[in-house]
Amino acid sequence: MLDTLLPILIAAALALAVIGAGRRVRLWRQGRPARVPLLKGLAAMPRRYLVDLHHVVARDKVMSNTHVATAGGFVAAAALMILVHGLGLAEGVLGWLLLAASATMFVGSCCVARRRRNPPSRLSRGPWMRLPKSLMAFSLGVFAVTLPSVGLLPEDFGSWLLALALAAVVTWGLAEMVFGMTWGGPMKHAFAGALHLAFHRRAERFSTKKGGSGRSTGLKALDLDDPEAPLGVENPADFTWNQLLGFDACVQCGRCEAMCPAFAAGQPLNPKKLIQDMVVGMAGGSDAAYAGSPYPGKPVGEHQGSTHGPIVAREGKALVDAETLWSCTTCRACVEECPMMIEHVDAIVDMRRFLTLEHGNTPNKGAEVLDNLIATDNPGGFDPGARMHWATDLELPLMADRQQVDVLLWLGDGAYDMRNQRTLRSLVKVLRAAGVDFAVLGNEERDSGDVARRLGDEATFQSLAKRNIATLAQYRFQQIVTCDPHSFHVLGNEYGELGGHYRVYHHTTFIAELYEAGRLTFRPWKSGSVTYHDPCYLGRYNGEYEAPRNVLRALGIQVTEMERSGFRSRCCGGGGGAPITDIPGKQRIPDMRMNDVRETGAELVAVGCPQCTAMLEGVVDSTAEVRDIAELVADALVEAPSGPAGRGEEQMRTVRPLAEEVA
Amino acid sequence: MCDIQRRDPRQEWIARNRLHPRHLEVLADLGGQAGGGAAREWMGPHGLIRRNPHGAGFIGPNGVKRIDRSGGQQGQGASGARASTAASKPRVDIEVPAFLVAVVPDMAGGRLTGHDRDLLGLARQLADADPTARGAVLAVVFGEHKEDDFAGAGVDRLLHLAEIDGFAPEACLGALVAAEQAWTPRHWLLPDSKLGGADLGRRLAARLGERPATAVWQLDADGEAPLGWRCTARGAAGTLDFQRPLPRLVLALAECAEPVSETRHAAEPLALSVALPSQLARIEDLGQVAVDPAGVALSEAEFILSAGNGVRDWDAFHHAAEVLGATEGASRVAVDDGFMARDRQVGATGTWVTARVYVAVGISGAIQHLQGIQTCDKVVAINMDPGCDMIKRADLAVIGDSARVLEALVALVEQSREEKRNAA
Amino acid sequence: MQPDTHHEGSLAVTVLVSVGRHPLTGRGRRADQDARGVELARTLRGAEVELLHAGRLDEGSEAALRGYLGMGFDALSLLEQPAGADVLPALAEALEAAGPQLVVAGERAEQGEGSGLLPYLLAERLGWPLVSGLAAVEDVEHGVATLLQALPRGQRRRLRVRLPAIVTVDAAAPAPRQSAYGPARRGRLDVQAAPVMDDVDLAQWPAQPARKRPKRLKIVKAASARDRFKAAAAKAEGGGGQVLSDVTPEEGAEAIFKLLKEEGVLR
Repeated sequence: MLDTLLPILIAAALALAVIGAGRRVRLWRQGRPARVPLLKGLAAMPRRYLVDLHHVVARDKVMSNTHVATAGGFVAAAALMILVHGLGLAEGVLGWLLLAASATMFVGSCCVARRRRNPPSRLSRGPWMRLPKSLMAFSLGVFAVTLPSVGLLPEDFGSWLLALALAAVVTWGLAEMVFGMTWGGPMKHAFAGALHLAFHRRAERFSTKKGGSGRSTGLKALDLDDPEAPLGVENPADFTWNQLLGFDACVQCGRCEAMCPAFAAGQPLNPKKLIQDMVVGMAGGSDAAYAGSPYPGKPVGEHQGSTHGPIVAREGKALVDAETLWSCTTCRACVEECPMMIEHVDAIVDMRRFLTLEHGNTPNKGAEVLDNLIATDNPGGFDPGARMHWATDLELPLMADRQQVDVLLWLGDGAYDMRNQRTLRSLVKVLRAAGVDFAVLGNEERDSGDVARRLGDEATFQSLAKRNIATLAQYRFQQIVTCDPHSFHVLGNEYGELGGHYRVYHHTTFIAELYEAGRLTFRPWKSGSVTYHDPCYLGRYNGEYEAPRNVLRALGIQVTEMERSGFRSRCCGGGGGAPITDIPGKQRIPDMRMNDVRETGAELVAVGCPQCTAMLEGVVDSTAEVRDIAELVADALVEAPSGPAGRGEEQMRTVRPLAEEVA
Repeated sequence: MCDIQRRDPRQEWIARNRLHPRHLEVLADLGGQAGGGAAREWMGPHGLIRRNPHGAGFIGPNGVKRIDRSGGQQGQGASGARASTAASKPRVDIEVPAFLVAVVPDMAGGRLTGHDRDLLGLARQLADADPTARGAVLAVVFGEHKEDDFAGAGVDRLLHLAEIDGFAPEACLGALVAAEQAWTPRHWLLPDSKLGGADLGRRLAARLGERPATAVWQLDADGEAPLGWRCTARGAAGTLDFQRPLPRLVLALAECAEPVSETRHAAEPLALSVALPSQLARIEDLGQVAVDPAGVALSEAEFILSAGNGVRDWDAFHHAAEVLGATEGASRVAVDDGFMARDRQVGATGTWVTARVYVAVGISGAIQHLQGIQTCDKVVAINMDPGCDMIKRADLAVIGDSARVLEALVALVEQSREEKRNAA
Repeated sequence: MQPDTHHEGSLAVTVLVSVGRHPLTGRGRRADQDARGVELARTLRGAEVELLHAGRLDEGSEAALRGYLGMGFDALSLLEQPAGADVLPALAEALEAAGPQLVVAGERAEQGEGSGLLPYLLAERLGWPLVSGLAAVEDVEHGVATLLQALPRGQRRRLRVRLPAIVTVDAAAPAPRQSAYGPARRGRLDVQAAPVMDDVDLAQWPAQPARKRPKRLKIVKAASARDRFKAAAAKAEGGGGQVLSDVTPEEGAEAIFKLLKEEGVLR
C-alpha cells in the first residue's frame, strides 16, 4: 500500500511546494527591480553556501555539526527519496544511501531537539519548537519506509494500520520539510536562503578568489538625479526584490540579537525582530505571530503593516516605530554574525533615508546636525575657516602650497574637538618623526559625509562627497591617511561609487607599516595592562584587526583582549549618528563597553577612533584611561636620525601616483 | 546733628598732650567730628585756638593732599563730599531750545534702563553739538514710572503720558504723532530693543513715512549730511555695517553713546496742548502670562541652576531651583542617568545657553559642558573636588557638599524674602 | 494643509519668506525667523498656508527657497524682483489681491538692510494691525486671534487682535521642522510678475562687513586716581575667579547669595 501511497505523497508535496514557491517568488517580486546575474548567481550558490555561509555557522562548532548532519542528511534524503520512493528506483545502493542519509539526519535532528530543550532567549520559539520533531518524523519515517525497499524488512511487514501510521508520519515530515519550505514554515529559510545566497545584493561579499577582498560594506548610493527615483524605503515593496528575499531567509537564530549593542542597552531595537517585521510587512499582517524577543520595551502584537503600506507611520503605529530604526549604531555586528548573510544595516539606512529625505523627521539633534553640515560642512556648525586653528603652531604644510605629496593627512571633524586635537597632534608628531612627506587640505577639507549618510541624508552626503572629490582631484598624492575610521571607510569604500578612488590608510595601519620599514623607534612600554577596543568602522567594516595590535606589540604592549574583541567587538555607541539621535534605553552602550574593559582589569584602553574616544571617555567613574594609539606611539617615540627617513621617502615616491587615475 | 558746640576738657587736654597714650585716638575722634581726617583747630582750655598743622588740607582727587589757604575748602571732608556730588553736578538749563531731540525710553520696570540712558547720552550729543544753538532733549514717557533721576540722565523736557498704560502700541503711536505735530522734533530717538522700543520706533517710522536708521551704534559729525551727522548702522542680521546720513528717526543699539553723568538738566514737564485722539484699539492686552521658570527654554533662560553627577538629593535640588526662581539645567551624565529630561542638557551636545548667571552644582565640567556655557556672564560652581575644570571656569566656586550649600542658600533666600515682606 | 482638524472654516495664512544667510559661512538658507514663522503657521489649526517671497530667483536663492518647500509645501509664490529692489509695492499688491486673514513674517531679514521695517510698512499700507515678536498663536476664533508675545527672559504676554493682521515672529517661536529633501525637490516655485521699485537710498549707502564693536569699559567716576586704578584693576583680577575652600556651607551660601543679589537674578 505504501508503494502506491508514497509516490503520490511525494508528488503532491512537490507539487504543492512548487505552487508555494511560485507564491513566494511573487511576494519577493513585489520589490523594486535589481540587476543580479541570475544564472551566475545560481551557479555560485553551492560554493557560497558551503564555504561562506558555513564559515559563519562554524563559529559555533556544535551547531555547525548539527546543521551539517541535519541539512546534509535532509538534502540527500529528499533527493534520494524522490528517486527511491517517487520513481521506484530502490534497487542497489540508492536505498542504502537513503537509509544512511535519513539516519544522519535523525542524528542531527536529535541534536536540534537537545538544543531546543532549553533554548537560549535569542532563539525564536513558536513553530520553531516543533521543528526538531518534524525533522525526526521525516527522518524516521523515511528510514522506516525505506527498510522494506532495501529488503531489510519484508515488503508486507506489519499491518495496514502500521503502514497508515508510517504514512502519516511521512506526511507530517513531508509537509514540514517540503510543503512548509515554500509556504512559510521554519524550513522556509532553506529555500529562501539558498536563493538569497544566489541573488545576494552584495555579491562581492563572496569572494571566489583566494585572498580576495570578500568584503562589501559601503552603503549603496541613491540616484538623486532621477526625480522619479524613490528616496529610500517607505513601504516593504520599496526594497529591492533581493532584499525582500534576504529578509525571508532569516532563520531566527538570534545571533544578531545577541550581538546588537542597542538591544543589550535596552533600546527598542532587535535586528531579528526587525527582519521578521519586514517579512510580516512583505506579506501583510500583524507581528502577533512572532515568537522571539521583542524590541525592548515594545510588546509584540501592536504593530502591523502591508506590502504597500508605510513601514513607519508619520503619526501612530505602523509596522516599525521610528525609534527602532534610529537606535542602530550601524556597527554591523548583526551583519557580521548573520549566518544567512542578511544585510540589516542596509535595510535600516534605506528606511532612515525615507524618514530623513521625505518626512524630514531625523530625531533629536539630527536635524540640527544636518543643517550644520549643509551650512558649514561640519556637524558642529563651526566656522569652516577655523578648521585649522588647533594647529597654528604646528605649521602644517597645506596641499594648496605643496600640490604633490606622498601622504594626504585627512584630519576629519575631530579637528574641532579639543580631545581629538591631542590625537591629531600626536599623529603629526609621529609622521614628522618618520620623515613622512605629508600635507593637509586645511580649510579645504569638509566633513566626509559619514554622519549625514548614516542619518539617511543621502543628498547632503553626496553634496559633501562630490565637493571633497573635486578638491582632492586638484592635488597629487599617493595615499590618504586618517585617524578617523569613519572618514577612512567613507573615503575608501563609499566615494568610489561617486568617482573618487583613493588608497586610504587608517593611521594605525600606516604607523604599523612605518614601523616595519624601520622608520620609527620606540622606547619600551613602561607598565600597566592595556586592552584594545576595535572600532567598528575599522574592524568589521574594513577588516583591519591586526595593524593596531601590531603597533601595540611594537610598543612592547601585551594586549589583554576583551571577551568581545576583533570581529565581535562591541560598539562604543558612537556610530551611525546614534549619539545624535539619542534614543533612550536602559543603559548606555559606552558604559557597557567600559564594563568590558573593566573585566579585563586593564588600566588603559587603546582606541583608534575619535568617536570611540569621545564615547568611552564620557563614561563616568571609569577604571581605565582612554588613549588613542597615535598618542601612545607619540609618547614612546625615540627621535631617530633622519637618514632612514629620507630613504623611505624615496621609496614611497616611486609608487605610481593614484590621483592621476582620479583626474 | 545739633549745632551746639560742646566741649570736653579732658579730650582737649589729651589732644594737646602728644605723649598721652590716647592722643592719636582722640585726635582722630575730634577730626571725625569736624569732618576731616584729623582735627585742625580746637579751642584750648584757656580759650586759645589751637591748630594742628598736619590736619590741614584734604585729600585731592588724585590722592594727593591739598591745602587750600583761601578757606574755601574749609571743613570739606570725604563724607560731605559724597553727599553733595549729586547736587554739585553743574546744572544745565536750556531755556529756549533751538530744536528738540525726542527720546522715547523703554522704561522697563518703570525706570530708565541702561539702554535708555545710553540713548539719552546720544540725544545730548545731538542736542549739544552746536553751543550757539543748543537743542533740548525731550523724553516721552508712557504710564506710571518710578524714575526720579530724569534730570541726571540728561532730560530737559519731559512729556509724561500717564494715561497710556500697559501694552498699547497704537495709543503710544497716536501720542507720538501728536507730539510730532506739536513740536516737530529734529530727531526721534528710540532704543532698538526687544522691550518695546524697536516695535514702537518702527510703527512711528511707518506712520511718519520716514525711513529710519535701525540698529545704529555709532554717530559721527558730517557736514555734508542733511542733518549734519553720519551714522553706522548694523544690518543683515548683524553682519553688515551701513554708513549713512543720520535720518530724523533713529533706532539705536545699547552702548551707542556714553550716558550723561557730568551734568544735571531741568526735566521740565511738558504737556500736549491737544487731547489725545481716542482710538479703537485693535490690539487688546490680556496681560503678562505667568511663566514657570522651570519651563523656560534653556537657551532663553537668564538664571540657570544646573545639576551634575555630584547631586545626590534631587528633591532638594528641584526645591532649590524653585525657591531661587532658576531654570533647571543638567549635565550629560545627569540626563543619561535619567534624573533630568533630555531637553535640560547643557553643553555642546545639549543646549548652548546664554544665561547671565549659571550655577553649576556637582558638575565637574567636561569640555563639552564648558563649551555650552561659554557665553555665560557669571558662573558659580558648587563642587566637592577643588581640582575640577568647572572650578577653573567659575567666577565663584564653593568647595563643599553641594546639598548642604544649597540648603543654606535656600534658607538665606527664604529669610531675605521674609525680611522684605516684614519690611513692606 | 490639515483639513481634518479645522472646525470653523479655513484660515488663510500667508507667510512671507526670505532668503537667509548663515552667519558664519554666508551661505543661503532658510531665514531662521521666517522658518519659525512657517512652522508657526504650519501648526495652526485649520490654516491654509501660502508661502510668498519677493526677490530674485537664482541658484543660491532657489536652494534656500526650496528649504521652505521642504517643510511640506507643494508650492511657493515668487514675485520676481531684481536685486536691490524695494519689495514693498510688490508684496503689498500681492497681499491685497490674495486677501489672507493672517500674514506671518520674520522680524528682520538676514540679508540686505535687515531693518525689520517691511512688516510695519505693509501694515501701514494695508491698514492692518501688527503684533511683533510672537511666540505662539494660541487660538483663532471668529476673526480674532489670541497671540502669545515673547518678552525678554522667557516672559510672555497674551494679546488679542482682530484679523486681518500681520504678525512677526522672533527666535522665541517654536523651532522650525526639518526641511526634507524630497518635498523640497518636488515643490513648485510659481514665478509671478510684480511691480518693481528700486531702492535708491540703500544703493548709496556703503556697506562693509560688521566691525567688532568696542567693548565698553566700566566707567568709573572715582575721585582719585587710586580708586580709578583699583576699579580698572578689579576686572583683571577676576580672571581666575574666587575659590572658597574650607568654608562652612553657610559661608559658601552667603557668598553665592551675595553674587546672585548683585546680578539681580533673585526676584
